[in-house]
Amino acid sequence: MLVSWRYKYRNSPMDHIDPRARWIFSFAFLIAATSTWNWMFLLTYFIIALIWYRLGNTTWKETRSGWRLVLFMLFMMIVINTIITGGGAGGVVPPGGQLVWPNGFNLFGKTVHFGLTIERLWFAICQILRVLGISMNFILIPYTMDARSYGATFSSLGMPDKLAYTTELAIRFIPSLARNFSVTMDAQRARGFELDDIKGGIFSKIGRMAPLMIPVTMNAILSSEDIADAMDLRGFGQGKRTWLYELRYHRWDYVVLGFSAILIIGGLVASYVLHLGGFVVPQFFYNLFA
Amino acid sequence: MEEKKKLWGFETKQVVFAAIGAALYAVLAIATNMLQLPGAGNVSIRPAVAIPMFFGVAFGPIVGFITGFVGNILADLLSGYGFWLWWDLGNGLLGLIPGLIYPTIESYRASKSIWKAEIFVVLGALVGMGLASLSEMWVSGADINTVIFANFLPAFISDIINGLILVPLLMIAYAAIVERSGRD
Repeated sequence: MLVSWRYKYRNSPMDHIDPRARWIFSFAFLIAATSTWNWMFLLTYFIIALIWYRLGNTTWKETRSGWRLVLFMLFMMIVINTIITGGGAGGVVPPGGQLVWPNGFNLFGKTVHFGLTIERLWFAICQILRVLGISMNFILIPYTMDARSYGATFSSLGMPDKLAYTTELAIRFIPSLARNFSVTMDAQRARGFELDDIKGGIFSKIGRMAPLMIPVTMNAILSSEDIADAMDLRGFGQGKRTWLYELRYHRWDYVVLGFSAILIIGGLVASYVLHLGGFVVPQFFYNLFA
Repeated sequence: MEEKKKLWGFETKQVVFAAIGAALYAVLAIATNMLQLPGAGNVSIRPAVAIPMFFGVAFGPIVGFITGFVGNILADLLSGYGFWLWWDLGNGLLGLIPGLIYPTIESYRASKSIWKAEIFVVLGALVGMGLASLSEMWVSGADINTVIFANFLPAFISDIINGLILVPLLMIAYAAIVERSGRD
């Protein structure tokens, strides 16, 4: 089985931003974007996210697996939320409202009355802006952030050393565990075990995975004892760790950090102090259906 | 003399078990993505969810949590799905809650232990996937119907089926290792 990291160095502007500044920006964006349903703020955040995403220089071909997942979730949300259930849209859209088709519409010669309101339709657009904005921040991470930097980054952001080291260690274990998985799979195939096209219902499919999962898991557990002993002998956990991957802030990182502070403080003040973050439908949208 | 099991202990051994568990969860999640849930679009059956549940039961709640949390982050990073903190936390809880029975287990093959593990596997899936799904209300503004039918139910049902079938098998296999090697 081939397991490979999606990251590659592109010499993009994103490659030159410190991973700590990037995490801080992404979380500041998440908090700011989830504090409002006002379309003007959401549109502004969407444009900021678009600029941020472009800094990564990634291609559609590279990122499409992530986007497929997001678009599927978004489609389900819009279809169920806006079209099928017509619920309160998370308590944001007030009940009632102006129907998109007040007299119904013609479908194969029959008049269909459908309860979709202009307010719910606008809410769906706001949802798209918010979810795509947040997604652009987080989808970019695997493609533009070196996996070797995670341990040092999380430790430097205040995560306990042991936890940061666990992340680092897990990243290092992945290639050898993927290899063990391949060896086990080949060994089971040699015994005539069918893995590529498992027939039957869900229960039999899951049950058939056991001869693969159990040996790989038990082998991993057996080998971990030796690793723990070796770490203990080298005095693991006795003092503050140093990291091979060195992180240093540059001038542009401070710009990103400053912008993150403006984003989060500005967003929260606008929403919770000035009360500007509420859901509103602009007049031009009503005019479209007049 | 047998060492007493500490519920919230996180020493060198637990660091290694958590790292191994997270890496294993990531590798198996990618390897088993081929098993898609019929009629639920992008939701895969993911038998690998049994790994954080089992690591919680065998090595404690912190190991279970890190296995699920970090493992899901790594699986998403390897698959190129991005970074979804609320689903990572939900996966962490899948391992943490079954881990609460860790100090009470004496034999991994005893039917009492297996029943206990099964109950906590269901609770873990309920709380973990419930929290992750509910967070979609905050992030995406989805209403409760969407959260239940599009997010919670597909994930919860596939997780409990996987957990209920695979966790006992992993426990029995681990019992054989414990008995053979004399580890606790």
